[in-house]
Amino acid sequence: MPWRRLLLIALILGPILGLLAFGFTRDARYITSPLLAKPAAPFTLKLFDGGKITLADLRGKAVFLNFWASWCPPCRAEAKELEAAWQKVKDKNMVFIGVALQDTDENSLEFLKEFGVTYPNGKDESGKIGVDYGTWGIPESFFIDPQGRITYKHVGGIRAALVLSKIDEAAKSIASAQEGKGDYQSIR
Amino acid sequence: MFLRILLVVYVLFVLSIQPLAAAGAPDLDDRTREIATELRCVVCQNLSVADSPSEMAQQMRAIVREQLQAGKTPEQIKEFFVSRYGEWVLLKPKTTGFSALLWILPYAALLLGLIAALGFIWRWTKSKSTREQAGNSSSVAPELQNHFLTQEFAQPNLEDSSLRAKLLREGGRLKDELSDLEFDFQSGKLSEADYHTLKHEIETRGAIVMQQLGSLPAEPIAQTPDQKLPGVTAAKTASTHNPFQRWQLIAGSVFLLLFGLALGVMLTQSIRPRTSENDTMTGDFMTGTTPSTSNARAALDEGKQAFGRQDFPKAIEAFKKALAADPNNAEAHAYMGFILVRAGHGDGALMAFDKALSTAPNFPMALWGRGMVLYQEKKDYAGAREIFERLLAIVPPGEERNEITKVLAEIRAAVPGEKKQAPAPAGSAQVSGKITIDPKLQAKIDPNAALFIIARSAGAAGGPPLAVKKIEQPVFPLSYSLGQENVMMQGMPFAGKINITARLDKDSNPTTRGPGDLSGDSRNNPVEVGAKNVDVVLNQINP
Repeated sequence: MPWRRLLLIALILGPILGLLAFGFTRDARYITSPLLAKPAAPFTLKLFDGGKITLADLRGKAVFLNFWASWCPPCRAEAKELEAAWQKVKDKNMVFIGVALQDTDENSLEFLKEFGVTYPNGKDESGKIGVDYGTWGIPESFFIDPQGRITYKHVGGIRAALVLSKIDEAAKSIASAQEGKGDYQSIR
Repeated sequence: MFLRILLVVYVLFVLSIQPLAAAGAPDLDDRTREIATELRCVVCQNLSVADSPSEMAQQMRAIVREQLQAGKTPEQIKEFFVSRYGEWVLLKPKTTGFSALLWILPYAALLLGLIAALGFIWRWTKSKSTREQAGNSSSVAPELQNHFLTQEFAQPNLEDSSLRAKLLREGGRLKDELSDLEFDFQSGKLSEADYHTLKHEIETRGAIVMQQLGSLPAEPIAQTPDQKLPGVTAAKTASTHNPFQRWQLIAGSVFLLLFGLALGVMLTQSIRPRTSENDTMTGDFMTGTTPSTSNARAALDEGKQAFGRQDFPKAIEAFKKALAADPNNAEAHAYMGFILVRAGHGDGALMAFDKALSTAPNFPMALWGRGMVLYQEKKDYAGAREIFERLLAIVPPGEERNEITKVLAEIRAAVPGEKKQAPAPAGSAQVSGKITIDPKLQAKIDPNAALFIIARSAGAAGGPPLAVKKIEQPVFPLSYSLGQENVMMQGMPFAGKINITARLDKDSNPTTRGPGDLSGDSRNNPVEVGAKNVDVVLNQINP
């Protein structure tokens, strides 16, 4: 008879403790972004070269959007990879945009010069674009299809090969079910 | 008089109502703060947007304020952040959908607990009263029936076939049957009428057993004066010694103790101070956010401390422990590499750095170590150059970066092919002289130290030197000459006014200045290239 009671207690306590243990294994920040397969937030970015770029004007093109900062080591590590990827697709119907977050103009320009970045880059002065894309650490990269829908998100450093394959998917409007995770991120 | 009292009451009422009215319409700052308090700062650990000083939180507060000004409701603003970051951005989870469980479950658990507690109390009082009732109403040997209920039947040896043993066994069995009956009734499997009938039947049988036991000759050992009961000899009252209740008490205590211990261990193991900005407060085997276990981390810290004290045997032991707990720990591999470098095992060191780099390809410490081994031990200038160029791309501007630039310049200068490309200097484009040691510091010479003779342009404020010459295990006094072949940056002419310094470096590493390194400047500084007798006395010691 006591065994029946113990079993009952175990049946009640087991799932509760299991749920607790499961909770401990999760870092909420890596729970899949709610933005995947959703329309990308519209924005207008003031570029370092004085121009402006508006996402809405890029309908019909696959867009690669990268958030970075000059003080972030993984951003430095991926900078050359991104430029190499850009060189391969710049003549296709694709656009690369770099958005500097929490950085000074001087340091950002120095960074772009150092890594020979040629695709359009600008600064998110108020941090609004960053929040609109749910960024919390950098680098973070987004792939947007020609209809303006986010197809893939990658947190942390990214390699040229992955950029090329994901932008190709974005061009074909193939959305990934989960976001990707790179080396590591920097937060400030 | 009454009117005056009324007036005072009115004034007090008006005075007390005013601040309330003011509080009823909070200004924009208060409303912003109120919403920010409910939002999680996305770059912090358990801090709200209102409390965090980070730039990200400042920007989020500005967005909240802006949206309030635009006339959005707090719910709409929170929904905006949820649509960007997911529900974890809310410090207070939603009360709808799946999150509603978080609100309902604790109350449900409380309610269940209360019901269970009430159930236990009810059962306890009920069983007591029914026992009393049974005792009172029973027509057959009520005293014996009552004793049966409070009696504990010591179970005799199975081989014991005496009448007493048989009766004791039967008594125990009847007690078990009664407990089962009780449980079935409590769990609703029996009607009240059936329960009472069956219970009465068992109690009657129990009373008969008691009676038969009482008629047997007394057993002196089991009997104590205060346990003597009319007609029963070996009886013990359940109220004082009931092993079942004791067992429950012990099991409950053990469970509580284990639960408390487990909770304590879990919390202390999973929560720790953040060691860097990339770190998390909960990182560990429980969160899975970092592969290293707490053992690995503790061992790693211990190793690093030992390494700092130059207690290498202890450091090796600690890093081995760290690697046993987490074989992919890049930092432990890198430190092992540095220890192996010190011990002169270049190949082993390279393997250790490679292991570190296989898990973290851009780990700066391992890149630095690998680069230095390739450069200084293996003389693989091309390989070293590639590593340092990679490192240069990752490390943000600062002192470390300057150091890397310096080493890279040295490597470029050391590449034989590149040296040949430099135009051969005229014989006169040299500086020569003698290097001696201050007699007071003679005793401080390390026989394994390397001498660096360094030339810097007289006008240069910092940066890499113009030319460097390294002499392993020098013998003093030493004659030297510096020329175009010692220039660090390819293409730089060895010309103009220069300052000559020399350093006797204990660890033979030009990039670090350790304690006990001897150095000195030429008294003739600055000198024109081509000068002779530019002597240097090593008369300073690095503390």
